[in-house]
Amino acid sequence: MIQFENVSKVYEHNGKELRAVDGVDISIEKGEIFGVIGFSGAGKSTLVRLVNLLEQPSGGNILVEGEDLSRLSKPGLRKMRKRIGMIFQHFNLLESKTVLHNVAFPLIISGTPKKKIKARVEEVLDFVGLTDKAHQYPEELSGGQKQRVGIARALITSPDILLCDEATSALDPETTKSILQLLKRVRDEYNLTILMITHEMNAVREVCDRVAVMENGRVIEQGSIFELFSNPQHPTTKNFIQSVMESDIPPSILSGIEERGGGRHVYRVTFVREKAAQPIFSQVAKNYQVEVNVLFGQITELQGIPFGQLVVELLGEDREIVRALDYIQRTVSVQEVEADAG
Amino acid sequence: MQVNILEFWPRILQAINETLIMVGVSLVVAALIGIPLGIALVVTRQGGLLQNNAFFKGLSVVINFFRSIPFIILLVAILPLTRFLVGTSIGTAAAVVPLVLFSGPYIARLVESSLLEVKPGVVEAAEAMGASPWQIILRVYVPEALSSIVLNLTIATIGLVGASAMAGFVGGGGLGDLAIAYGYQRFETDIMIVTVLLLVLIVQIVQTLGNVLSKKMRRQ
Repeated sequence: MIQFENVSKVYEHNGKELRAVDGVDISIEKGEIFGVIGFSGAGKSTLVRLVNLLEQPSGGNILVEGEDLSRLSKPGLRKMRKRIGMIFQHFNLLESKTVLHNVAFPLIISGTPKKKIKARVEEVLDFVGLTDKAHQYPEELSGGQKQRVGIARALITSPDILLCDEATSALDPETTKSILQLLKRVRDEYNLTILMITHEMNAVREVCDRVAVMENGRVIEQGSIFELFSNPQHPTTKNFIQSVMESDIPPSILSGIEERGGGRHVYRVTFVREKAAQPIFSQVAKNYQVEVNVLFGQITELQGIPFGQLVVELLGEDREIVRALDYIQRTVSVQEVEADAG
Repeated sequence: MQVNILEFWPRILQAINETLIMVGVSLVVAALIGIPLGIALVVTRQGGLLQNNAFFKGLSVVINFFRSIPFIILLVAILPLTRFLVGTSIGTAAAVVPLVLFSGPYIARLVESSLLEVKPGVVEAAEAMGASPWQIILRVYVPEALSSIVLNLTIATIGLVGASAMAGFVGGGGLGDLAIAYGYQRFETDIMIVTVLLLVLIVQIVQTLGNVLSKKMRRQ
């Protein structure tokens, strides 16, 4: 659906080159919600604008449904853009016009007959749950409602693709959740392909199927949400995951370990899929001369799959512990935790 | 020698009429020139919809040139042009030419600043929807900036009221002419006071109307 092939974007600034996007390869499938996450300045905003050519690439190819937009004539590009909806962090609504006019705007500029516009506006406003706000002005709406107007406006032309530029970054956590659920519904009911960029791992975890992590214009890691959470490779990815999974052992617990002179046998155990439900530790306690002390843990769900991390301390003789560890490692991934490093 | 205000009243009414015509006609013509130039300044600048550095710089220099000439000098300097355009260099019609040259570039700058207040994000959103540059100008820039444009045109109108007073110099008539001819040169203080009060009144009305209209334009 959307393919980035070795795409780069270079800005000249005071004679210096700035590589905002640097050799990016991403392939987004139809009907998928693809997330691009990165800190500000990572190049993700530029990346999403390359799709509808709000930014011209300096190198590489971007194919949208197999078509290279940079080869289109200006009218051809405008026509193509009508098939790519876009929503923004700050909504970008016309302040001087009603919700109704804002939502109708893409059809107005396409010269759609008024009757048709009216029916279609009612349809999309109903979909986003704003039927009663049609005659209000953007400044009378809350942030979440404004973003719903943005989504309705993006959907009105029945696009194939929806680009989301930090669409939830200006919203509070509750509203963020409801907008993300709405985006999911958009995908499920219209089979849209969604490319969303964000710096919030929470948003990615909530709705994305796959994700790419960007840093300094490069994609440093990409894969399914599940792969990324269960087995992050790059430190930045780990950072992002830590922002939603409390994987650091709280200091109070750490100092507790040190006080008891322990900390030699503290492990981080990562459970995925059905293994999260297996009573591994009670089996360990039963079959080996080892006691299991759970220090800290979190179990959550990713894409409907259980996913958890436990930090445990194994107490017992070294030889038994090695045997027990061996057993645990057969089913789940285990990582030793340094007492001072957490 | 004092003149009776009541006897003089028809002369005052005529002057009000001349002032309103001078200001009204100049405003319309100047706006017709200034608004498109203001739009051109915004869309041709660096990063604009129809970026054109040479055009932008050229236009900017020309506008600055006209804006730097004091009105009283402009009034005299362009007398030949005025004669060419309206066939005469004196009278109300003749005063319109320098007034337009004075306020057209001014309105261009005012409109430019109004349009620059439009959030770039809204323009970008329209581009992303596949709007053409013309559609963006007419359906995004102008409606979004209209409230501010109206307020700025009010400022320009009041500037014109002031400038039109000087146009009495070329026999343009109007309240300013009356104040100078009778009040200043013939020391008829009461005429002076009445004309100045009338100018104050006109400015108050224009500003109030401008405020009301601008507020209306915030929600279309």
